[in-house]
Amino acid sequence: MAQKLKDTILNPILKGNPITVLVLGICSSLAVTVQLKGAIVMALSVTIVTALSSLVCSLLRNTIPNRVRIIVQLVVVALMVILVDQILKAGEGTYAIDKQLSVYIGLIITNCIVMGRIEAFALGNKPIPSFLDGLANGIGYGLILIVVAFFRELLGSGTLLGFQVLPASYVPNNLVILPPFALILLGCIIWVHRACDKDLQEK
Amino acid sequence: MNTNSNVYTVIYTTVVVVIVAAVLAFVSLKLGPAQQANAKAETLRQMMAAAQVASTDELYASNNDAVLTLYAENIQEAYTIDLDGKKVAELGITKDNIELVSNLKPQNKAIKAGTDATLPVYVFKSGVSVIPIYGAGLWGPIWGYIAFQEDCQTIAGAYFDHESETPGLGAKIKDEPWFREKFAGKKVAFGSDKLFSLAKNAEATGADNAVDAITGATMTSKGLNEALNVWFKAYEPHISVGALLAGIADENTNAEEE
Amino acid sequence: MKPIFEKGGKLYWLHSTVDAFETFLAVPATTTKKGAHVRDCIDLKRIIILALIAVCPAALFGVWNVGYQHQLAMGVTGTFWANLWPNLWFGILKVLPLYLVSYIVGLAIEFGTAQIRGEEVNEGYLMTGFLIPLIIPVTTPLWMVALATAFSVIFCKEVFGGTGMNFWNPALVARAFLFFSYPNQMSGSDVWIAFKKGETMLDACTGATPLALDGPAQYGTGWWDLFLGTVPGSVGETSTLCILLGAILLIWTGVGSWKIMCGSVAGALLVGFLGNLAGATDIPCYMQLLYGGFAFGTVFMATDPVTSCQTECGKWIYGLLIGMLCVTVRLFNPGYAEGMMLAILLANTFAPLIDHCVTTSHINRKAKKLKAA
Repeated sequence: MAQKLKDTILNPILKGNPITVLVLGICSSLAVTVQLKGAIVMALSVTIVTALSSLVCSLLRNTIPNRVRIIVQLVVVALMVILVDQILKAGEGTYAIDKQLSVYIGLIITNCIVMGRIEAFALGNKPIPSFLDGLANGIGYGLILIVVAFFRELLGSGTLLGFQVLPASYVPNNLVILPPFALILLGCIIWVHRACDKDLQEK
Repeated sequence: MNTNSNVYTVIYTTVVVVIVAAVLAFVSLKLGPAQQANAKAETLRQMMAAAQVASTDELYASNNDAVLTLYAENIQEAYTIDLDGKKVAELGITKDNIELVSNLKPQNKAIKAGTDATLPVYVFKSGVSVIPIYGAGLWGPIWGYIAFQEDCQTIAGAYFDHESETPGLGAKIKDEPWFREKFAGKKVAFGSDKLFSLAKNAEATGADNAVDAITGATMTSKGLNEALNVWFKAYEPHISVGALLAGIADENTNAEEE
Repeated sequence: MKPIFEKGGKLYWLHSTVDAFETFLAVPATTTKKGAHVRDCIDLKRIIILALIAVCPAALFGVWNVGYQHQLAMGVTGTFWANLWPNLWFGILKVLPLYLVSYIVGLAIEFGTAQIRGEEVNEGYLMTGFLIPLIIPVTTPLWMVALATAFSVIFCKEVFGGTGMNFWNPALVARAFLFFSYPNQMSGSDVWIAFKKGETMLDACTGATPLALDGPAQYGTGWWDLFLGTVPGSVGETSTLCILLGAILLIWTGVGSWKIMCGSVAGALLVGFLGNLAGATDIPCYMQLLYGGFAFGTVFMATDPVTSCQTECGKWIYGLLIGMLCVTVRLFNPGYAEGMMLAILLANTFAPLIDHCVTTSHINRKAKKLKAA
């Protein structure tokens, strides 16, 4: 049991990472990784939404009518996303970040990871493992987001979390700021990930 | 229990939706005021940044209450005008009467349609008057605040914001202090055909009413140029007939008398 | 000394490097041992050397032009012959470092990856490295060139499997990298003319003034100047005349496809003409062929056998697409003054699809005929 629980938590972060292995949630990881701060908030938001939606759906799993289960899931996810968005907007410190992330917080609802985990895991498992699975998937997603954002902010603006870290003589690279570069970075991360983990390599 | 029967499905979905709606309504009710306060403080920060009441960094470092206090200390009067330049109403200078950005969009439409727009003017105690501008950028709306000195021609400061311009390119209108700083000291050529121009190599002409566009952000620059000109044009009657131009009008009459 | 590099030898791990140098100009003594192979005296190395020779006139002219533009900007007067050597020398001083950087960085990565994979080093980079300095402004800082070269060799070539496997032209990817990364150093009015340290432009210089901008913004200069190439621009792209010489060599030896070149010219003329009709521009359509990087791109970049179409009908479509896209970007996109790079890269992307459609439709036609018969 303990081993199974450990797998539930570790698998989404490493071997079954939603971004680098399942290639889900790509669009938001391209859009919100220009600055580290935004990426961290986004990572937290997605983690909270996935964890809570998985929990709620798992609690409801025996009562949901099969024919409308996607719609019910969607309603639950939408509820969580709107809650996160509203809370971000209401906080004095988070208002500016919410503005910067603009539509992408709302678009968490379309993030395949959230619905995917509910369909694949939460509907067939008990609430606590489902919650942990959602949490772990959110963390696995957020981790990649933060790595990508780290390089993009560092190379694209010469700053980290808004603080100048590279010397002023550094010429910021504009391409890094454009979304296509996030795709290249993601490719590199997948490259490294696969090189390190032989199980992921196709024969 | 048969969870697949029609009756069950209908009742189940109804209950879920009602619960979710209730939760959302409750949250919205609870958080609404805080959100409103954030939005207002944000507007005030931008306005005061344009009016040079305090530096942008200071404004963004201080909390909402401090911003409100600062505004209350510095504002002299606020009112709205129509397209003929006549004063329509006093806006009041309490924090409840702040025009949010969401109000600029209908005003922008009204200006373009030539119908009854109510355009806000904020006069600060320092003599600076702030007007908003609003228009379309590349991906979404862009807006900003332009502060005029007492002569109502010279720009004292500016602040621009946007919803979703490209980071590093169009987003520079907000992110790069040097861009808004370039506006200070420029003069809008009220009364002429070309009020202001934001274009490639515009500064090279040496004109007072020109600022260079941002390299690599042609569409955002174009949108900002249009927003500036449309809104300046809308305020032009007010500036030439109204109280704002009083100073200049006096000078002109003096000159004629001599 | 050779055996130590052969299988089992002490320095076997270096064999790909040794092979590369050995076969650079000499034909190796080994022969194919089994099976029938159709061989031709033209192999990859000969193709690349021919292509290099074809680019030479444009490159040499470019080197001189760097000096000539400097001379104009400094207001130095004198006849062509009197200034020939100073201009050439100035050009060499400015362009040679670009070449050194491009080759050292690019070849280092090529040899490195070949070593890691244990494959032979391919000559593909000789051409790419020769083109990169020709399609960027002469003032581009060397570290940028190094970065762009490294980016393009790694991400456009090696990750896809090396020479012959890339679907984008690596030289253009290097330029695209620079263009999107450092727009201030790659466009605008003051990047096209090199100065010595401390020099500034003379206010009252005559002729093709540096007000001329990138690509189609070379408006205002007469068509003869544009044809000869005595205008500011990227190093190798200015002289349509020299590029034509290269084109003749390429077509004569069969290295470059005339179909692609003609298609591209036709496409550019067509859209240029439509633009004239629609009132989008008052530039006569034939001038579109002289501005910016159109000629250089058409002759040397679009015809790259690896990234262009392989089918004969596909070559026409591919060429047309490039010409049309290029002028479309020039006339209708306010963001980019020059569209050749974007046009070729986009057409590169579609080349396999075009080939696929052409072969499928061909097969279908044949199948129908067969049925009817």
